[in-house]
Amino acid sequence: MSALPEPAGTIYDIGFRHYDGPRLGRRGAIAAIVGAGLRATFGLGRSGRSKIIPWGALVLALLPAIVAVAVRVLVGDLIDLYSYANYLWGIGALLPIFVAAQAPELVVNDMRHRVLPLYFSRPISRLDYVAAKLVALSLALLGLTLAPVLLLFTGRVLAAEDLGAALGDEIGALPGIVGSGVLHAVVLAAMGLAICSLAARRAYAAGAVLAVFLIGGVMGGTFQAQGRGLQAFAPLLNPLAILDGAREWLFGGSVAESPVAAADLPLATYGVASALLICASLAVLALRYRRVAT
Amino acid sequence: MPLISTRALTKRYPGVTALDGLSVELEAGVIGLVGANGAGKSTLIKILLGLLPQTEGEARVLDLDPATQGSGVRELVGYMPEHDCLPSDVSATEFVAHLARVSGLPSGAARERTADVLRHVGLYEERYRPIGGYSTGMKQRVKLAQALVHDPRVLFLDEPTNGLDPAGRDEMLELIERIGREFGIAVIVASHLLGEIERVATWLVAIDAGRLLRTAPLTSFTERTGHLLIETDEPADSLVARLLSRGFSARADGRTVVAELASNGGTEFALYDAVRDEAINLGLALVRLEHRRHQLEDLFRVGGTDERVA
Repeated sequence: MSALPEPAGTIYDIGFRHYDGPRLGRRGAIAAIVGAGLRATFGLGRSGRSKIIPWGALVLALLPAIVAVAVRVLVGDLIDLYSYANYLWGIGALLPIFVAAQAPELVVNDMRHRVLPLYFSRPISRLDYVAAKLVALSLALLGLTLAPVLLLFTGRVLAAEDLGAALGDEIGALPGIVGSGVLHAVVLAAMGLAICSLAARRAYAAGAVLAVFLIGGVMGGTFQAQGRGLQAFAPLLNPLAILDGAREWLFGGSVAESPVAAADLPLATYGVASALLICASLAVLALRYRRVAT
Repeated sequence: MPLISTRALTKRYPGVTALDGLSVELEAGVIGLVGANGAGKSTLIKILLGLLPQTEGEARVLDLDPATQGSGVRELVGYMPEHDCLPSDVSATEFVAHLARVSGLPSGAARERTADVLRHVGLYEERYRPIGGYSTGMKQRVKLAQALVHDPRVLFLDEPTNGLDPAGRDEMLELIERIGREFGIAVIVASHLLGEIERVATWLVAIDAGRLLRTAPLTSFTERTGHLLIETDEPADSLVARLLSRGFSARADGRTVVAELASNGGTEFALYDAVRDEAINLGLALVRLEHRRHQLEDLFRVGGTDERVA
């Protein structure tokens, strides 16, 4: 034991280490952007303040389902608080708020601080970038548009006395539940990102998203109150009403409070309108990102 | 196989030709890409990254065609743009690790290499703070780190010393030299500042208005010429007259005289002797005597262009 102990706290410069490990290429890159986008949408790794709106909206969206399931468990199927069809319309106001608050997080700063050239000089293409952001926001929105209704579904099945029979009764609603959730999430995400991609700052982007949804809703409401033939088209001014109409067209189940019920348009109109909304949003995104200078 | 090669590479925009029939072959090392602003340096880099399609000609990077295999090229190269490109509200660690993953590294490797590379560029405790509060020098280091984190084979640096103070400039140049020499990564440095390129590059590509002026090892750009530069303390026309009468060729430019060595048929030293003798005869004080080398600036002097483009 004659050797002297190594001096403590010495930093050895081991030089630059090369990397021989796996390179995941474009797929890995897209997965990384989706993952980071999801984290950003829910404020993970950010300050507590940036978690308030996304987690608050998520809790508020889940609350009716939790209450309904609790009531189911306590008093049985005497009271039916929510149907699958009207759940999304019921929490509708939360969706534009969530999109307005969180979509700007995903795209505005990359554009404003000119970070995009750093992305585009990596294995992805411009469209890969946009697609990854779209997937991230859609997945986040599914937390509001799909998770609560799935919770309601699960609660109803599990609270029933005869599990098998209940599952048999409810299972038919599942495609509609998933389909409606995905439809709402994808269209809202595309619209939100398209609007945000045109804004210079996060605050403007948030305002623009709210404006599109609120103005549409308010104008639609005014039209409907006035009557005189215009009321038939009122729901087409409100993106949430368009989505509700498309949902009803695809999966059935009318919602009494929705302007779709009051108007007398063929339901396929809403399907076409939804398709136009998503196509327009994707076109705006594609054009906007094609014009970004590297 | 050269690391990078272009053949008759041309990029035309409506009304402007950014690159005009550029053909070069580049091997590993620190390669200086010099030219005035707007000479086509950034355009060339973007074509090599596969971000911009060329109008005509061919380019190959690491034996891949950037126009059709851009994703493959970009997995193996790093790019540091000229302009600001950093978000303000994330830390350097978070940002560089994210971009490492976007380059295709698994998350564990991305985190490890981020820590390594930030240390190499000289960012320590501050790497956990939001980038918005960084100095220009620190931001340039983050930009360099993100280009280096995925261990690229080739690094493209566009005006890396932009906005830096003299000390920051020295440190950045030192880093670039280390990356080329110690890290063994080929570096293409685009700059309009010849003095900086001279300090780090081993090979030089000079372009002007989208055309290749010259591509050669740095040493050949600065090799000795047969001229002696003489600076005196007053107008030197009389000295020129005396030198001419002794059979040397010489011309004056204010208080500076450029004379050709051995132009009277004698040895190199004959001119030195003549200058000494005539300066004594005329009572001139000599301020400077310099055996002149080619300067990089010569490349861009009017008239200097044609004689060197073979």
